Amino acid sequence: MRAQRGGAPRNILLAAALVAFLTPLAWTALASLGLQPDSTTHPPSWTGPLTLEHFLEIGVAEPTFMQELITSSLSAASAAVLAVAAAYLAAYGLARSASGAGRAVAQGFLVLASLPVMAYVIPLSDLMRRAHLLDSFAGVVLSEAAVTAPLAVFVLHGTIAQLPTEWEEAAVLDGAGMLAILGRVVLPLVAPSVAATAIVLFVIDWNMLLVPLVLTSGDIKTIPVAMSDFFTFERELEWPTAAAALVVSLAPVAVLVSLFHGVLDRFSLDLATAA
Amino acid sequence: MTLTRRDRVVLFAPLAILLTGWLLLPALLGFIATFSTYSPFSTTVKFAGLANYANVVGDPQFAAAARNTAIFTGVAVPLELVVGFAVAYVLRLPMRGRALWRILLLVPWLVSPIASGVMWHFLLGGATGILNFALGWLGRPEVPSPLGDPRFALSTAIAVEVWRVSPFVTFLLLPGLASIPRERWEEATLSGATWFGRLMNVAIPSVRPLLLTVTMLLVGLAFGTFDSVLILTGGGPGTATLTPALYSYSRAFATNDWPAGATAGWLIAAGVLAAGVVYLMLARQRATE
Repeated sequence: MRAQRGGAPRNILLAAALVAFLTPLAWTALASLGLQPDSTTHPPSWTGPLTLEHFLEIGVAEPTFMQELITSSLSAASAAVLAVAAAYLAAYGLARSASGAGRAVAQGFLVLASLPVMAYVIPLSDLMRRAHLLDSFAGVVLSEAAVTAPLAVFVLHGTIAQLPTEWEEAAVLDGAGMLAILGRVVLPLVAPSVAATAIVLFVIDWNMLLVPLVLTSGDIKTIPVAMSDFFTFERELEWPTAAAALVVSLAPVAVLVSLFHGVLDRFSLDLATAA
Repeated sequence: MTLTRRDRVVLFAPLAILLTGWLLLPALLGFIATFSTYSPFSTTVKFAGLANYANVVGDPQFAAAARNTAIFTGVAVPLELVVGFAVAYVLRLPMRGRALWRILLLVPWLVSPIASGVMWHFLLGGATGILNFALGWLGRPEVPSPLGDPRFALSTAIAVEVWRVSPFVTFLLLPGLASIPRERWEEATLSGATWFGRLMNVAIPSVRPLLLTVTMLLVGLAFGTFDSVLILTGGGPGTATLTPALYSYSRAFATNDWPAGATAGWLIAAGVLAAGVVYLMLARQRATE
């Protein structure tokens, strides 16, 4: 391949972006390992020694941290799967609706996806209390799924609307029912988009604060709620321990994104232009 | 295939139940409640007209929060778009190690707003932070955290949010920019277009609908700013970084003024829905052009 013109400015911009976006995280990772700068010396120096003890200190400061990791994983995974499943069905229905209003409806879903949780979480908590779903795993999962499902509908509608319909028509001639077509014809074709959407939703759910904060009173605690409690109530926490907790909370989603990086570019907000 | 009535029920019922029960119904009941004295533990409920709205809108705290959000949205959203677009533009053509670059440059978005707040709290203050380390190298004395200074708190909170959200913008824009056929860049280059010309005549027109969509999401995110500032500044110092969402939360759960909290929540919804109407109009225009 011919070398691109403007290669040097491109590399400079990339290097600058890398430094700006990753230095704070590298700083945090080093602190979690016990390597901290000392700005009282001239010039500033780094002090050690390298240690893993700060990761153990998390368990001392927050004895239920492991439990919170499990709660976060299970609730985010359940909410993501539920939202993507419901969104997949509806996106297919919209993309294949005869009225041709699918596109406009999908844009309506995008507006819904932009609606902040704070706009309705106060009455939601009241409703969950009346439905006896407060402080329940189901309440958190269903609420998180409802927050993220509109975005999934928008993305999956765009993907399905761009699919040619020949395979589905052939399957209909073979006598396949709608659910068989959805499972065996359409799903394999859009599987990368469905996977990418599930990953993005998992990250959003994993990091979500307001839903678990307002809908639980401590029984179902996720990592962001635990962190926010810790700092809201002004308990003393050393920076290296906080840094270790940050690293542990980031690691699962970073690993997930790395494993699935091949499909992530299929998370496309492009609306089908030709349907 | 043509969908029967039964097919439609199967396809739409799960989403309809989920969204009705856990989003639309609470939003609607909350809206109705804002015109009354309703709160979860009150025994009598009276019609209150617009009293809750007058109460919230007339509160200087809410006015400060609304002003902060206007600044936050007006500054953070364009910056997130420009930075996110610039990185995506650089990454659009195939290059060695692109997959790795893409993952590395997405990582800040993987950090939760709460964790980001904790991290920057420490990085911007104290002897072990980035800020004082850099000043130390320059031979300057240590400074207190800008987050504690009413003059700098809001702009610092905006900078932290731009750091966290721009990578997501890159992630969303990259597929669109990467799918522009190679020939279109080459044609533009051959016809003598500068990089700026290629940007204005090839890149931006191709991803205009995508930019519009991303802008809508960013505006919603900015209007609802809550966890990004909760730990970072807690809304302070004073009301320097207070947002309507923080205001709504603290009215409902800290001062137990449920109607005021729900009303402030609905004012956020009204702002986003107004932006949504503009989005839908612009999207329709683009579609018919």
